[in-house]
Amino acid sequence: MKVLKSWLNDWIDVSEISNEDISEALESLGFEIEEQSDLNPNYSNIVIGKVLEIYPHPNADKVRITKTDVGSKTYEIVCGAWNFDVGAVVPVALPNSEIKDGFKIDKRDIRGVESNGMICSASELDLWDDHEGILILDENILPGTDFSSIYASSDYVWDIGITPNRGDCMSYLGIARELSNYFDKKITTKKSKLSPSITNILNTNSGKIKECDTYGSVEIENFKVSDSSFLIRYRLSNVGTRIINNVVDITNYILYDIGQPLHAFDRDKLFNTISVRKAKNNETLTTLDSQKRKLTSEDLVITDGDKPIALAGVMGGLETEVTDNTVNLLIESAYFDKVSIMKTSRKLGLISDASIRFERGIDFNIQKYGLEQFLMTLKESQDIKFSELSINTKNNIKNKKVILKKDEVKKLLGIELKDSFIKKTLKYLMIDAEINKDNIEFTAPSWRYDLDRPVDLIEEFAKHHGFNNFSSNLPQGLHKNEKGNFWKVKEYLSKILISNNFQEIQTLSFVKKEKNTVFNPEKNYVTVFNAIDKSSNYLRSNLMSSLLDTYMFNLQQNNILNSYYEINTVFDTSVDKTYNDVPNQHVVLGFITSANLTTQDIRKSNQNIDIYYVKSLINQLISDTQLEPLIKPGFHQNYSFSIFKNNEIVGHFGQLSTELQNNFEIENDVFLGEIYVDKLNLNELRLINYKPLSQYPFIKFDLSFSVPVEFSAQLIVDEINKLLSKNENEIEIFDDFQHENSRNLGIRIITRSYEKTYDDNETRQILMKISDSLETKFKITLNSGNND
Amino acid sequence: MPEVNTEKIFASFLLSIEQVSSVDEFNDLEKEYLGKNSLISEERKKLSSMNETSRKKYGKVLQELSTKINERLNEERLSFQSKFFKEKELNDNKDISINWYKDLGSREHILTSVMNEVVDIFSAIGYTVATGPEAETSWHNFDALNTPDWHPARYESDTLYLDENLEQLLRTQTSTVQVRHMQNNKPPVYIVAPGRVYRSDQLDATHSPVFHQIEGLAVDKNLTFSDLKGTLEYFVQEFFGKDIKTKFIPHFFPFTEPSAEVLVSWKDGEWLEILGCGMVDPNVFEHVGYDKDSQGFAFGVGVERLAMIRYKIDHIKNFYENDLRFLRQF
Repeated sequence: MKVLKSWLNDWIDVSEISNEDISEALESLGFEIEEQSDLNPNYSNIVIGKVLEIYPHPNADKVRITKTDVGSKTYEIVCGAWNFDVGAVVPVALPNSEIKDGFKIDKRDIRGVESNGMICSASELDLWDDHEGILILDENILPGTDFSSIYASSDYVWDIGITPNRGDCMSYLGIARELSNYFDKKITTKKSKLSPSITNILNTNSGKIKECDTYGSVEIENFKVSDSSFLIRYRLSNVGTRIINNVVDITNYILYDIGQPLHAFDRDKLFNTISVRKAKNNETLTTLDSQKRKLTSEDLVITDGDKPIALAGVMGGLETEVTDNTVNLLIESAYFDKVSIMKTSRKLGLISDASIRFERGIDFNIQKYGLEQFLMTLKESQDIKFSELSINTKNNIKNKKVILKKDEVKKLLGIELKDSFIKKTLKYLMIDAEINKDNIEFTAPSWRYDLDRPVDLIEEFAKHHGFNNFSSNLPQGLHKNEKGNFWKVKEYLSKILISNNFQEIQTLSFVKKEKNTVFNPEKNYVTVFNAIDKSSNYLRSNLMSSLLDTYMFNLQQNNILNSYYEINTVFDTSVDKTYNDVPNQHVVLGFITSANLTTQDIRKSNQNIDIYYVKSLINQLISDTQLEPLIKPGFHQNYSFSIFKNNEIVGHFGQLSTELQNNFEIENDVFLGEIYVDKLNLNELRLINYKPLSQYPFIKFDLSFSVPVEFSAQLIVDEINKLLSKNENEIEIFDDFQHENSRNLGIRIITRSYEKTYDDNETRQILMKISDSLETKFKITLNSGNND
Repeated sequence: MPEVNTEKIFASFLLSIEQVSSVDEFNDLEKEYLGKNSLISEERKKLSSMNETSRKKYGKVLQELSTKINERLNEERLSFQSKFFKEKELNDNKDISINWYKDLGSREHILTSVMNEVVDIFSAIGYTVATGPEAETSWHNFDALNTPDWHPARYESDTLYLDENLEQLLRTQTSTVQVRHMQNNKPPVYIVAPGRVYRSDQLDATHSPVFHQIEGLAVDKNLTFSDLKGTLEYFVQEFFGKDIKTKFIPHFFPFTEPSAEVLVSWKDGEWLEILGCGMVDPNVFEHVGYDKDSQGFAFGVGVERLAMIRYKIDHIKNFYENDLRFLRQF
């Protein structure tokens, strides 16, 4: 809400308080300052003029020539607007002045007639948008008066945020009440003196429903639609409200001033008792914006007899609206239920200054005051006749008494508050309270809905004490630097992937259906009921599709060829085992890498990797895993594996199926995998089995075996390790040569005894033992002539 | 007594040394002047046939000469070597202005590193990481957190639901983890819960349907508003630096009371909100089955916001596009 200093000053004397101090006060009371600025329009050389004569321009039809008295002189001024007549009092920008946007006004020849300045509209003076023409001022203002003197020439405006629990602060009165305690200043009371001179011809009541606690109204006769006062237009335009006419402007003005929304009906369009009820399902009402609204039994309507004439608290009806011909009015001032107004306004998308105040809760005891203030304001500019106020209330809303134990205050806030501070705060906030030795028994005023528990009052004390006046203390938990297994596993796996040149990514969780089916056709997917993008309303069941998309996206962006990983949640509809009240979801680490990776050194060609690289990566991430072939959609038939750790599946990896690779138009083989992060235990990821170092020299020999094509080479390595189990060994396959139906495996054995240096004879015996055992066990043949 | 002219030998040695052009030649010179067949060695052989006086005297002369040659030889060798290597290095002169090694971009995502940093800051004062589901029940996301069923945050325009009865949703805040954690753990509680949250927003410069928060919760004996203040001041200073100023202004959240927003002073004296916090509302304790007089505080930080403030990132969209041109800048 925008707060004008000059308007605020009506309620609390802030004229002597600096803008900085007011800013600080507003902020410390919980009004977030979104913007603030000086209103310092430069109106030098703009004066009040009185139009003495008007006559046609000899060479132009669309403009007229005026003789205007500007105090010291009478000028001839050419004017293009037609909304005024002789005798009008208007603002005149004299030669050598500036209007909106720094536009310079000087003597000017307009088709052969010299115009000595310009008669201005409200928008030309940067006051408010007005397309009616020239700004017509009060006829009692003397010509020659400096325009600045009738305009609050120096003002200040704050645009503040008001939290949803403080509907009572959505008015100048409300903000003044909050500031009154801060500045230790009383707020102004506005009294009203009214003498009704007509009798009501309509009956009004609050109906039979609890959603309207009070319905107040007054009838007005002898009214004429016109402009509202300059002050009202100035104030409303500066709080961002459109200027319409006196009746609309004044209802808006009262709403901003004291927080009571009002509605004006053309009384001559009403015929029966005016009341409130719930709408019937499918009942219709055409609202002020000419929209035909279909209503439900959740909506409140104002009725004339049984006929709906307005959407209570949200928008008036077109049929009973005030028009230029209206002479008699019925002004409504009511209290409607918060939730009911909120539901209707949100459902219909009609959110107005009034509906927002109703939905946050207006003062339940201010309806009469609202009508009084309306009459007082309208009376100032028009000689109206009005009736007695009709206030029909059920008195169902009451704030209950709450007991706050004094020691609770210190227990929650950590500071001792003086009784004098407590008393002063309660007094200024107009909270009815009795303070005794141990307790504060309080009842919230009629405008507060946020004070119905002891803790609510503690918050009030804390706020008015000033959050920044609290001391600071740093409590600490018992378990320092214990981030927990899940977080540590994430950090551990990330570190390894990053050291292998993987880049982490974060992608959105929503996908198109086919991104799930391509890898998980067997699952049932979770969908978003009210998705933003209806085509991507699926929660992803895997990370691999997102990884592939990112991989492709960066290639298209001419970025280097890279490896990526992401750690995030995947979903399906089965019941979650950890949290049995939500869909199945678990955290997965997904990764992707290409057979052709960019090397860091630009002078070197790209690095070619294959499935073995990915296998070694898995071993780096999780030690002691077993792999088992896995037929998985989207994957290469031979190069797709489940990863087992301690006989539990902890992930899978493989090569993207060549068909998908072709469909995606990816040049190189692509490898993907997923690791189930929440199944891993940090202490088991990297098992350390220290083996002592032998002090004796190594012996080394390379063996070549002729083996069947489908032979698993690891069997040989395992067998040799078994045969040499008493030694320190390094055994590796260094060659795998296949040609048609023959296959040769090269095995390098480096072994050291823990006890002695092997002589030639012993070395030969070891070699014999190994080759004999392998030949017998696996029916393979040692190739001659290449062993040393 | 036949004596060699030591000065002449030394002079000839000096002459040779000036002509040395490689390290190896020093070895040749050493051999020539001090080796087995050198003049000095030949003369030494003669010593045994001399009388004691002459032997001592001549022996000393020879010794002095050989020492002198040896010292000079080593000196020259060292200086030659040093000059040689210096020259070798001078000739190896690459244009270091070229960046042959390119940055492949292999890092944590910026959001992850910010989360890790925040987790580290809090784990240092005894907070552990807690997690909870992203697809949540409306009860955990709203009701348990004291948000009544008519509250605007629950409207379908703000929250992504998974069913038409609006019973399950994508969590809109990591505060849900507070609820889950307290349901399963007794106080004292000191946790941080980093994770994804969801809102019904299109991805653009300032909005994302997915973003990250870190929720913090402390429930312990006698925790007060001062403890909340001190904890968040500690966090802000660890994250943004010791010189940064903070202020607390009152705010409203359904699940805390009193509630506050924390602002930090940025350059140009601008104050930026970086987190929301407050004392846990008694209704929340009641919903999770804690004693009514439990006491503690909670806070929530937006991860994207922290990153955007610190690195002056202008588009939230950058975080989720994963363009390497963006990712490798951090």
